[in-house]
Amino acid sequence: MISLPVLLGVLLIGFLLLQVVPTDPATVVAGPTATKAEVAAIRQQLGLDEPLWIQFGRYLGRVLQLDLGRSMISNRPVVDEIALTFWPTVELMLACLVWAVPLGIALGTLAARRRGTLIDRAIMALSVMGVSVPVFWVGLLLIQYVGGAGLLPFQGRNGPIWTPAGFLSIILPAVTLGAVFVGPVARMTRTSLLETLGADYVRTARAKGASDWRVTIRHALRNAMIPVVTLVGLQIGFLLGGSIVTETMFAWPGVGRMAVGAITSSDFPLAQGAILILAVGFMMINLAVDVLYAYLDPRIARS
Amino acid sequence: MTDATLSLQSEADQRAIAAIRRKNAVWRRILRDPAAAAAAIFLFVIVAAAILAPLIAPHDPYASNMRLRFCKPLGDRCPTFLLGADNQGRDMLSRILFGLRATLGMGVIAVAVGGGLGALIGLSAAYFKRLDTPLMRLVDVLLSFPSILFGLAIAAVLGTGLFSLVIALSVAAVPSIARIARGAAQSIMQQEYMEAGRAVGLGDAALIWRYLARNCWPTILIYMTLQLGQAILLGAALSFLGLGAQPPTAELGSMAADGRKFLQIAPNVSTFPCAAIFLVVLAFNVLGDALRDALDPKLRQ
Repeated sequence: MISLPVLLGVLLIGFLLLQVVPTDPATVVAGPTATKAEVAAIRQQLGLDEPLWIQFGRYLGRVLQLDLGRSMISNRPVVDEIALTFWPTVELMLACLVWAVPLGIALGTLAARRRGTLIDRAIMALSVMGVSVPVFWVGLLLIQYVGGAGLLPFQGRNGPIWTPAGFLSIILPAVTLGAVFVGPVARMTRTSLLETLGADYVRTARAKGASDWRVTIRHALRNAMIPVVTLVGLQIGFLLGGSIVTETMFAWPGVGRMAVGAITSSDFPLAQGAILILAVGFMMINLAVDVLYAYLDPRIARS
Repeated sequence: MTDATLSLQSEADQRAIAAIRRKNAVWRRILRDPAAAAAAIFLFVIVAAAILAPLIAPHDPYASNMRLRFCKPLGDRCPTFLLGADNQGRDMLSRILFGLRATLGMGVIAVAVGGGLGALIGLSAAYFKRLDTPLMRLVDVLLSFPSILFGLAIAAVLGTGLFSLVIALSVAAVPSIARIARGAAQSIMQQEYMEAGRAVGLGDAALIWRYLARNCWPTILIYMTLQLGQAILLGAALSFLGLGAQPPTAELGSMAADGRKFLQIAPNVSTFPCAAIFLVVLAFNVLGDALRDALDPKLRQ
């Protein structure tokens, strides 16, 4: 529901970004030898003399046709550049979620079951450390001790994840990114599970004579998952931030690294396209989370 | 029993009640937790060190000396350098003290500006009921948008540097503070003195400032302090990416990025700034957790 205004806002920022480009596009197109009259003609031809809101409308039309302009450095279409970097980013995020979320849920469940014990306190201490550590420190330590010792590659992506070389090259980035994600998932699972463990239906299940772990996992955990899914959805933005840092550190050829590179080299069309695709991707994930709710909790689908 | 003893007794009672109230004050409850107390003391020391950096730094953080390049902590070449020297032979300890100053400074400014704006939005939403829905939808939109993308977009528009960084961090701080301020203000709105103030003919501005804001600010201020940890973490990440403070400015995130190139020969150049960021953010988060537990009656039992 809130996606549409956000999307428009993002597009507006992207559009304004192109307005502040210090070089005048008409002068560039006209070439260094053009006269003032020629530049003015080209400006009219490109529609640059029209009011900003008409230009914004045109820009929206171009974006809908997937025309994001050309990179000022490689001179290739921005859409092509994004197509190249999109999958590596998705791969990295999935590789992070696939180990960090199950581990977080497992640790959170363990902490809730052993509430108040040393295990519980250790897991919670680890979790607060996890949310406090800068992603880049985790990455630097892994590069220093694991990468530096020659155990695993840490420079770039050596192929798709299903090839052995590609799989090895994604391990360190995925561990780095996931390390800051386990903590929040564990904490939310613990809090949510502690609430459901006190519910009536859990007492009923116990009264039926179900074993402790069966009650925890079959009856309580599934109901406790809803806030956890919410959290994972909300934390996707956080994950996105982490992935931008991780990609830059490990020379991972993803959208985040491309965005940072484009900004630092003042490649405005590319920067704008990269930020746009990151924002759209983020909103798509939020949509997916909403769909997942309905699966986890049929009550939401019916209402 | 005379009137005098009666009044004495009631005075003693009042003092006892006041003492109990004080004991239950949120901060007291927080500081009873040893981890939170340690975090508070640590932050106090760190903030003092950052403020006093020019006075207590043992060396000039910008004076390079190539003969001391990559000197180990307290090494032979630099016996007075407690944390060693970086790639330009600058004293790491002095640079970290100045780095803390820059990192904490940008966090404080960002949270003050963004939090102030957020508080204004929150109070307005609670006071003017008609503005509630539109303002809070705006806050939802801001909240749903990853703050690192603000950082990227603002750096792209305004160029890289500390100024863009502070703006990005300020924008990121607005929505959460706005929510807290609205929540705090809504409970104040139900108090009878708001009605009384209106009855004696006070205007909107006077009611908001003298009654609403003055009763809300302790809550808002506490949350703003706790927001600092997040602001620092985000600011350090953006600086690490090269979008914030530019060299040679001593700032923890960009120092960590600088040291990345020399990880194998001199790990101290990046490890110490990273550890400093980690400890500061950890302290803020531990304090924040204690506060949440203290404010949430459900968890207190």
